[in-house]
Amino acid sequence: MTNGNVPQKAPGLWQKVLDRVKTWSRTQSPWLIHFNSGSCNGCDIEILATLTPRYDAERFGVQLHGSPRHADILICTGPVTRQARERLLRTYEQMPNPKFVVAVGACAITGGVFAGCYNVIGHIDEVIPVDVYVPGCPPRPEAIIDALVILLQKLAAGPKIEEAAS
Amino acid sequence: MTQPANRKRFTVPIGPQHPALKEPGHFAFDVDGEIVQSASVRLGYAHRGIEKATESRTWVQNLYLLERICGICSHIHATAYCLGVEKLAQVEVPPRAQAIRSLVAELERIHSHLLWLGVAAHESGFDTLFMYSWRDRETVMNILEVMTGNRVHYSANVLGGVKYDVDDQQAATIREGLDFLEERTLHYLEVVSTDSLFLQRTRNIGVMDREAAQLSGVIGPTGRASNVQRDVRLDSPYAAYADHPITPVYETTGDLLARFVVRLREQLTSIDYIRMLLDHLPNSPLTTRMPRRVKAGEAISRVEAPRGELFYYIKSNGGDMPDRIHVRTPTLCNIASVAQLVIGQHLADVPMILVGIDPCFSCNDRTSVICQDGQRDMWDWARLRQYGIDHYGTHYTKDLG
Amino acid sequence: MTTERNLLHAQSILGDLTTDWSQPAPDRYDAFVQPDNLVAVVTTLHQDRWGYLAAITGLDKGPEVGEFEVLYHFCADAAVLTLRVIIDRADPVMPSICGVMLYASPYERETGEMLGITFAGTPDDAWLFLPDDWQSEVFPLRKDAVLNGNGGGDA
Repeated sequence: MTNGNVPQKAPGLWQKVLDRVKTWSRTQSPWLIHFNSGSCNGCDIEILATLTPRYDAERFGVQLHGSPRHADILICTGPVTRQARERLLRTYEQMPNPKFVVAVGACAITGGVFAGCYNVIGHIDEVIPVDVYVPGCPPRPEAIIDALVILLQKLAAGPKIEEAAS
Repeated sequence: MTQPANRKRFTVPIGPQHPALKEPGHFAFDVDGEIVQSASVRLGYAHRGIEKATESRTWVQNLYLLERICGICSHIHATAYCLGVEKLAQVEVPPRAQAIRSLVAELERIHSHLLWLGVAAHESGFDTLFMYSWRDRETVMNILEVMTGNRVHYSANVLGGVKYDVDDQQAATIREGLDFLEERTLHYLEVVSTDSLFLQRTRNIGVMDREAAQLSGVIGPTGRASNVQRDVRLDSPYAAYADHPITPVYETTGDLLARFVVRLREQLTSIDYIRMLLDHLPNSPLTTRMPRRVKAGEAISRVEAPRGELFYYIKSNGGDMPDRIHVRTPTLCNIASVAQLVIGQHLADVPMILVGIDPCFSCNDRTSVICQDGQRDMWDWARLRQYGIDHYGTHYTKDLG
Repeated sequence: MTTERNLLHAQSILGDLTTDWSQPAPDRYDAFVQPDNLVAVVTTLHQDRWGYLAAITGLDKGPEVGEFEVLYHFCADAAVLTLRVIIDRADPVMPSICGVMLYASPYERETGEMLGITFAGTPDDAWLFLPDDWQSEVFPLRKDAVLNGNGGGDA
């Protein structure tokens, strides 16, 4: 488990080596947590399909995990409903730094067909910052894998500069 | 029930966190020791307000909105809606379109039941079965993609017919896939009814006899596992089911095992039914003309979704938008039964009983909080499952010793 | 035809408890019921084992008409019997039928919170679908409800 603190001072050799080890280990085993904030399930079953033998995202070290405290990547589906907003925020806040968010599906990106419904307050990036968007209704598992690969490349580039999660 | 005053009672809330599938629900279980005493339900984490939204969309727009009520049974929602609106508009849909509706509906049933099998197996800790059943599910996803171009929201329906035809080449692909699925389904049927570890989690757990099932209003495969002989496809035939009746599947024991067996046997009937449909596809156009405005009136449309009876009430004022659409999903019927079913059961069995009604719940991981004299203690799904495994481990050793 | 027999049987056992009958479709009967008689009607159906309660639909006739209509759909095979109960929009109170059939509880909760109808005696009237922080005086399925968002569509 890493605490992912971004060093304040100019890093020494030891720190540099440590950072590289951390980055390496992160890119080898990015753990996911999945949150449905009001989706129709279409995206959710495609995310699950991504993890099962045909698509087998585990070959990238990706594993779906239960607790937000163990997860590196929050994978979100659906528009954000009034009731789910708090839970989405809480889940995001419980994740250790550095953390990444993938918004899967048209609803997560724009609200989709549910935009304007009275109990839908918006899309994912109105609530938490999003790193990768996967369009589609629902996106194919290949597209979800592609998003994860893009994210892993991002991770490999080094520690993310922390943004205020407001 | 009297109990000593110093006896502590705990409330174990389950959900809504990690609501991976439809209708993330919240349950609170009061437990005495490890026996559940009472339960209450809270839904609404995925409530978006679709019924209200239908009132400000046209009849055609609504088709695509209602399809997205559920990503697992999207076709059956669209079918129920189309059948209702066509009834209101007094439009006769060509027979080939009706047959294709039934065909896609049965393919959807296979995909939904395989999905459920995996989810349920995961809840019992049998991840191998989860992975295998989801691998085989890809076969039916392939078939759906070959037919419609989409894996999940197939959009096969339009008002007044269907969009996609089945040609000979596609039919051959479907048959080939079905042969494989039949073989696998028979294998799973053998696994769930003979694997001794699995049977410990399913046999005589969450038993609901016929009387209780009728009183608690359960429908669909959950009801049929308790010998409640209700199947809309048979009782009130729609689409192709009037011309080609389906063979219903009933079990009598009413426990979790029966719910597994009913769904797997239903899969086999679906496979046979699709083959039969492919042999007897009538020749006709795929669509008929549909008016933009629908005559005033109200219609009731009932169909058999993979999870049970789906009920649509549609009211038109004669305009190009509906006045009211009311959707009663099968889960709403069945979810109430969980609250009664779990009483007197071990906490460790709760996840299995929950998933036994196929409530569109996540297979993954929920976080639960145990409140104990004001102190909060986090229980995640894995720990709850471990608790189940340990509990049954001791029981099993006791039986042996 | 069993469907027809079922419907005729329902009519014969409910006869004097209803105010009016109509047949909108070959497989459907509508029975108009006074709110006070509702529990008696449902009890009669339940004791006779006539079908099962498939759904409760709440309709808002709009502020001009000043009425709510609550529909209780009972299904027996292909036959659908709809009990139509009209109540005053200004004082929307209905008797609960949960005493007769407990599984009506989620339906009553849903209708209650969506239209603001009180089901007197329902065992649990906590919100089933609406969020915890919902304004308690806004009922989304009322025609004159003022809601955030445009309700979708192209508006």
